[in-house]
Amino acid sequence: MSDGGVIASETLLCAQSDVPEGGAVKIELAGRPPLAIFNIKGTFFVTDDTCTHGEASLSEGEIDTDECVVECPWHSGAFELSTGKPCGAPCTIALRIHRFALHDGGIYLLD
Amino acid sequence: MNRIEIVDGAGFSCAEGDTLLRAGLRAGLGLPYECNAGGCGTCKVELIEGAVESRWPEAPGLSDRDRRKGRVLACQSLPTGDCRLRLRLDPACIPEIRPERRKARLTGMADITRDIREFRFAAEGPARFRPGQYAMLSLPDGTERAYSLSNIANADGASHFQIRRVPDGRMTERLFDAAPTEIMLDGPYGLAHLQPGARDVVCIAGGSGLAPMVSIARGIAADPADARRVHFFHGGRTSADLPGEGWARTLTGLGDRLAYHAAVSDESVPGLAQGFVHEVLAAWMGDRFDNYDYYCAGPPPMIQALETLLVATKGLPAGRVRFDRFF
Ligand SMILES: Cc1cc2nc3c(=O)[nH]c(=O)nc-3n(C[C@H](O)[C@H](O)[C@H](O)COP(=O)(O)OP(=O)(O)OC[C@H]3O[C@@H](n4cnc5c(N)ncnc54)[C@H](O)[C@@H]3O)c2cc1C
Ligand code: FES
Ligand code: FES
Repeated sequence: MSDGGVIASETLLCAQSDVPEGGAVKIELAGRPPLAIFNIKGTFFVTDDTCTHGEASLSEGEIDTDECVVECPWHSGAFELSTGKPCGAPCTIALRIHRFALHDGGIYLLD
Repeated sequence: MNRIEIVDGAGFSCAEGDTLLRAGLRAGLGLPYECNAGGCGTCKVELIEGAVESRWPEAPGLSDRDRRKGRVLACQSLPTGDCRLRLRLDPACIPEIRPERRKARLTGMADITRDIREFRFAAEGPARFRPGQYAMLSLPDGTERAYSLSNIANADGASHFQIRRVPDGRMTERLFDAAPTEIMLDGPYGLAHLQPGARDVVCIAGGSGLAPMVSIARGIAADPADARRVHFFHGGRTSADLPGEGWARTLTGLGDRLAYHAAVSDESVPGLAQGFVHEVLAAWMGDRFDNYDYYCAGPPPMIQALETLLVATKGLPAGRVRFDRFF
C-alpha cells in the first residue's frame, strides 16, 4: 500500500512524525469526510475517521496494537485497520480504508 | 435497591431483578442500546466498581476483547451491589415514554401465515408506545424475549404481537403450544419508531419483521394530519410466508395509500417478484431512492444487506433509515 510511488493526484496529509506510535490523528480535508491516520509499530494505516455505526471519531478510540484493531470510543465496536472489516459489535459495515504513499517524511493520500 | 453511578454523569437506582440498562432508561437516562437482548453490542459499558451477574454470559454482543477489558452488556447485567460505570450517554436513547413492567392477560390469537401468529394481550391502564417499538415478554418460568408491537397506542391497554414460530425455540414453542393466560410485559423499548416526515415511507419487513412495519403503517393511517403513502415490501421464502395485499391494506387501515410489494426468495410464483427483499426493492426503486424515508425490520443478515444498500451504497443519511434487527 505504501509503495512510495509518485502519483500526480497525491495530497499531503501530515508528517509521519505527527502520528505517534500506537496513536492516531484526525485529518480534515475540504470536501470529504475526515480521515484517521494510525501508527501501529511504525506501520501506518489511513481510514475514514467516522465510525460506520454512529457519529464518533475513531482517532479518539482505543488502539490495540497487537491485534491491529481500533475500538470506537462510543459503543466499543471494532475494526481491523488493515482491511476495515468490522470485528466487534455493534459495527457491521466496513470502514473505508485509503491508499497512501510515504516519502520525504510525509504521508500522502492517493485517492 | 442498588445505586448506580455513571462516571462524569448522573446516577440512578436499580431495583432488585432489573438490568442496568432498563433501570437507567426507567430513570429517564439515555443509556445507549438497541436490542435489549444481548445481540447488538450497543449497550456495552465499562464496569469501574462493583459487580454484576450476567443473565447471559455467552451473549454474542460481547467479544472476547470486550470481556478482557472488563466491559459488560448493560442489557444483560443484574447488579449485585452499588456500581460505577463508564459509558457515553446518547440523547437519542432517552425514552419518550418510560418503560414499565406490568401483567397482561391473553385475550386472543389468530394465525396470519403458516408460522406467524398474532397474540393479543391486555393490561390495566392505557398502552403507551410509539409505532415500531417493542416490549419484553416474559413467561412465568422467567424465559424472556423481545417482541415488536403490531398495533398502536390505545386507551384499552391492548398490546398485539405477531410472532413467528422458531423450531425448537425456547420461547416460541411455549407460546405456540401452551400460550400462558398471563404474562409479564415490559416496555416500550426501541428507537426504530415512526418519525414525522415529508417524504413517503418505505417499510421493509422480512420473515418475522412484520409486526413493527404493520404498526408504523397503522400509525400513519391513524394520524389525520399524516398524508404519507406507504410502500410495504414484504419478503419471505415462499408465498406461504406472505399474507398478501388485501390483508395488509385492511389491517393497516391505509386502503389505497398502501402499495404492497411481495418478494419470495425460494420459489418462482407468477406475478410475485423473486429474490431477496433488498434486491426486489433495488429493482423497483431504480434511481428514486432519495424520494423516501425507510423503516426496516427482520433478521440481522437482511438488515445488513439493506444497510449496505441504503446507507453505504446509496448514501442516505442514517437518520432517514431506521433499522430494527431481530436478534
Ligand atoms: C428488538 C427485537 C424485536 C423482535 N420482534 C419480534 C417480532 O415482532 N416477532 C418475532 O417473531 N420475533 C421477534 N424478535 C425475535 C424474538 O425476540 C426471539 O428471538 C424469537 O422469537 C426466537 O425466540 P425463541 O426463544 O423461540 O428461540 P431460541 O432459538 O430459543 O432463542 C432465540 C434468541 O433468544 C436469545 N437468547 C438465547 N439464549 C438466551 C439466554 N440465555 N438469555 C437471553 N436471551 C437468549 C438470542 O437472541 C437468540 O437468538 C425480536 C427480537 C428483537 C431483538
Ligand atoms: S458509533 Fe462507533 S460503535 Fe457505535
Ligand atoms: S442492547 Fe444490549 S446487546 Fe443489544
